[in-house]
Amino acid sequence: MPSTITMPRLSDTMESGTILKWYVKEGDPITSGSVVADIETDKATMEMQCFDDGIVSKILVATGQQVPVGTPIAMMTLEEDETDATAPTSPVAVSSAEAVLTAIPLSDHQRMRVSPIARRLADAAGIDLNAMTGSGPGGRIIKRDIERAAAAQGVSAPSVTVVPTAPAPIAPMSTSRVVPIVSKGRSELALAPEGREVALSGMRQTIARRLVESSQQIPHYQVSMKVDVDALMELRTMLNGQLEPQGVKLSLNDFIVRSCALAMAQHPFFNASWAGDRIVIHGAVNVGIAVSLPAERGGGLVVAVLRDADRAGLRELSENTKELAEKARTRGLSIEEMSDATFTISNLGMFGVDDFTAIINPPNSAILAVGSAIQQAVVRNGQLCVGTEMKLTLSLDHRVIDGAMAAQFLQTVKHNLENPATLLV
Amino acid sequence: MSVREIEYRDALNEAMSEEMRRDKRVFLLGEEVAQYDGAYKVSRGMLAEFGERRIIDTPISESGFAGMAIGAAMMGLRPIVEFMSWSFSLVAADPILNNAPKMLYMSGGQFGCPIVFRGNGGAGGQLGSTHSWCVEGLYSNVPGIKIVMPSTPYEAKGLLKTAIRDDDPVFFLESERMLGTKGEVPESEYLIPFGQARIARAGKDVTLVSFGRPVLFCLEAAETLAKEGISCEVLDMRTIRPLDIGSIVKSVRKTSACVVVDQSWSFASPGSEVAAQVHAACFDDLDNFVHRVHTVDVPTPYATELEQEYLPSARRICEAVRACLYRA
Repeated sequence: MPSTITMPRLSDTMESGTILKWYVKEGDPITSGSVVADIETDKATMEMQCFDDGIVSKILVATGQQVPVGTPIAMMTLEEDETDATAPTSPVAVSSAEAVLTAIPLSDHQRMRVSPIARRLADAAGIDLNAMTGSGPGGRIIKRDIERAAAAQGVSAPSVTVVPTAPAPIAPMSTSRVVPIVSKGRSELALAPEGREVALSGMRQTIARRLVESSQQIPHYQVSMKVDVDALMELRTMLNGQLEPQGVKLSLNDFIVRSCALAMAQHPFFNASWAGDRIVIHGAVNVGIAVSLPAERGGGLVVAVLRDADRAGLRELSENTKELAEKARTRGLSIEEMSDATFTISNLGMFGVDDFTAIINPPNSAILAVGSAIQQAVVRNGQLCVGTEMKLTLSLDHRVIDGAMAAQFLQTVKHNLENPATLLV
Repeated sequence: MSVREIEYRDALNEAMSEEMRRDKRVFLLGEEVAQYDGAYKVSRGMLAEFGERRIIDTPISESGFAGMAIGAAMMGLRPIVEFMSWSFSLVAADPILNNAPKMLYMSGGQFGCPIVFRGNGGAGGQLGSTHSWCVEGLYSNVPGIKIVMPSTPYEAKGLLKTAIRDDDPVFFLESERMLGTKGEVPESEYLIPFGQARIARAGKDVTLVSFGRPVLFCLEAAETLAKEGISCEVLDMRTIRPLDIGSIVKSVRKTSACVVVDQSWSFASPGSEVAAQVHAACFDDLDNFVHRVHTVDVPTPYATELEQEYLPSARRICEAVRACLYRA
């Protein structure tokens, strides 16, 4: 009996999911517990496991497609089918897969058959393949069909003989890219690349929706302060030197996280959420760190959460941050690793940004934007000298936090960073 | 200089004789090559001209004389080994496959192996299963071997001269069925480089790719198909290794259709290799998958009619071309 695999609900808020990647193809045997696909939800990319043994008989939703939760995405034939007395006597797995394939009505999902050259010519001539019936075997649309359609439409079918350059003798099995042969003149090919549209990933849709909400609904304002980080840099150099044999390498960001976590414990409204008719002050201090994702994973950003950050030492914060950032950039974070932040830090210092303002990550009441630590001319004790300074900019929800409260919080953070012993013990 | 018509066997004779006059290191050995002028009269007159030190009759022991010739090549001579039939090369498999093509590599460049093995390949003469081998399928699998299949007297002479001058082992596959074929060959000296296909017939609807004797069947099929309005481009590849995939790709980009005609069995053959490379290089240019015409996947039959049906033929090539062009 065939069994249906549907789009699973992978988080409470998930309404639809996108198939990012299939790990199986039609005819593949699968076992219970094996990963069959990567699913992108509104929050994360997650692996989908299957819970039966059998054979994938049909993939119903192609890579890149988004479908609502509960939609059938694949068919499989279960293990016991193989011993079905009515099954063909041939013992190979393929035969049972084929048997099921023919039993499933394919009308809606039948693949359009087009020869590669026909597809290319149709693209070049702007001919809609969907409206065509192919004259090749199994209805395959072939070159002749495109030429006839082009003639009927009065479009001149692009000639395949327009080879821009004589192909150089190629090495066996070369997969080198060939200049697309289209009905364009050489001069046209030399123009700037055409504009293009980029489909929204689930993450991009979520970023767009949440930040528009935040920007429109939260009365944002900003407060900035400069921090003298000479002492901190000196301490960091010393600690990293002494702890190197233990593999510890503290970043400036680790000190900022620690400083903010301690300040949040001291200033509870920075660990709070606006709840419409009341303000909720949270117990645990969970600091979120904005992590940008590499372009090859689709770009975007996620917020990795350091739980109970006020109770963690620098070494632990540093290790956790590194681990989460690495995981976010390679395999993706779990829902839990991205949930329950009560305050967020966004640091663009490593890119040489002097200062910037950030949009609050709801339901937080504040976000800290961190700029670069820059050596510059400063006045200390009435003397002009060289010092290292870093600018911190808080964005705040005025419904929860007023200006004076913000200034006091920043003073605490600044004090912690300028007197870094407080961060150690 | 003038051009005259000579037989394929005489083209081979001229190539060997000219190279032996040019280079004292070149010599010929094999069964009946000297006293009898060659089992197929390819070496006619050569004993008289070059003497018994350079035209050597051997015992019926392919493994022995092939191995001896490889030793001579390693020491700096340039032997031409004639196999009466490539079918007999199978008993010399160890020296010709395990020593000759690997010598340069395994000796770390100390010993080369400039040697030519030549003889008749292919079926068509009612010689039965064991004496009708098309060895190109087997041997083209081995790196280090150059494989040449001349389809005309002109190709035979120009390619054999190149083979004798080549510093690597060359397997030169002739055909008993073609030795008496006549063709134009210039009197002046010429060489044909390896890895350079010849357009035997220009066309625009389909690319026919072939090697050796089946090129003639392709040309015959192209004549028939022309009457049906199908214009075939026939590529005579001349060498299987090196394979001139560039010329194939250039033609297929023009025609969008490719039929490979290969007298070996289809499984793991030069034809399947060409198809794989065309699919990789011309994927977006094809209107249909590469069609292939091979000998039938059975031992060579003895009966004339069965043997003819078993081999690639103009009729079977026409059928494949029509199918490939959706005209079946």
